[in-house]
Amino acid sequence: MWIYEKRLQYPVRITKTCPKTAQLIISQYGGPDGELSASMRYLSQRYTMPSKAVGGLLTDIGTEELAHMEIICAMVYQLTKHLTVEEAKTAGFDAYYIDHTAGIWPQAASSLPFSAVEFQSKGDAITDLTEDLAAEQKARTVYDNLLRMIQDPEVREPLKFLRTREIVHFQRFGEALEKTKEQLNAKNLYYFNPEFDKTFTV
Amino acid sequence: MMNHQHLAVPSVPVQSWGLLYGKEEALRAGTIFQDLNLPFFAAEEAGRADGPLGEAGKDPLLEIQQISFLLDDLRLYLDTHPEDPDGLALFQRAVTERKQKLLEFSSSFYPLTPDSMCGETENPVSPARFSWQEGPAPWEGGCV
Repeated sequence: MWIYEKRLQYPVRITKTCPKTAQLIISQYGGPDGELSASMRYLSQRYTMPSKAVGGLLTDIGTEELAHMEIICAMVYQLTKHLTVEEAKTAGFDAYYIDHTAGIWPQAASSLPFSAVEFQSKGDAITDLTEDLAAEQKARTVYDNLLRMIQDPEVREPLKFLRTREIVHFQRFGEALEKTKEQLNAKNLYYFNPEFDKTFTV
Repeated sequence: MMNHQHLAVPSVPVQSWGLLYGKEEALRAGTIFQDLNLPFFAAEEAGRADGPLGEAGKDPLLEIQQISFLLDDLRLYLDTHPEDPDGLALFQRAVTERKQKLLEFSSSFYPLTPDSMCGETENPVSPARFSWQEGPAPWEGGCV
């Protein structure tokens, strides 16, 4: 069950139309390392986690990623709210405009559509948590790349906030992995899969 | 939590409770924990950047975003440190403050949560009208 709270986690107030910037940051909505992909990854992986606390952490981070998705969508929306056809043409936003006008649709900066192929739910706690650590690093790199290219402070401030969240989530997934290791065979962490070989777990 | 070293598996040190930012600075930085604020060189602005964060005294929604974000970050810390006494004490204080601010915002402007339309449990109010749809959409960038 989820309950909507009618506010953004971090405020977005962008006053200048810029379809080029929208086309870049939309990657954090529907791209391979974007917030939607992150949320679906964690919310899918949590069911079979052997540790209830790790399942709870995946729920909380997966929920926060939904709020991040909303921040990114609000940014794309405000950057294209007053878009003219002429601006769409000169900024290279014309192909998106033909398909979606100024509607918000999950795609990568490269125009690749959002896909569940971009994340895994492997049913093995070490495998999934290792993917989650990598996912946070990939998302951080995208924010680094965006911060190199985008100069408008109204866009940069929310991006900087979101970048720090990736680092905090990495830390928490690392701690979740430490907790998971405690429940495994101390001599051989790979002796069994704690999500599947239930005869080994209490 | 023990931190055993194993070959062939990632290892991350477990964080200890340390210095915190105040609510305003925490939202700006993206974490309440000073130890986890690790900025990118290309993101270091000279002076204070002209971002969307105004002054809390003049923006009641910002005050709710600040206290709520403190709780968002603290909740994740407590997920992996469920018995940390400093974390638990701060959590209790912040939950009380957030509840109060949500009720004040709802009675002055519009409800941010469906529950805050009806006031506190001890002192419930029957809303004059169904106000859940009032106020600007969050993505419009407005406040009140």
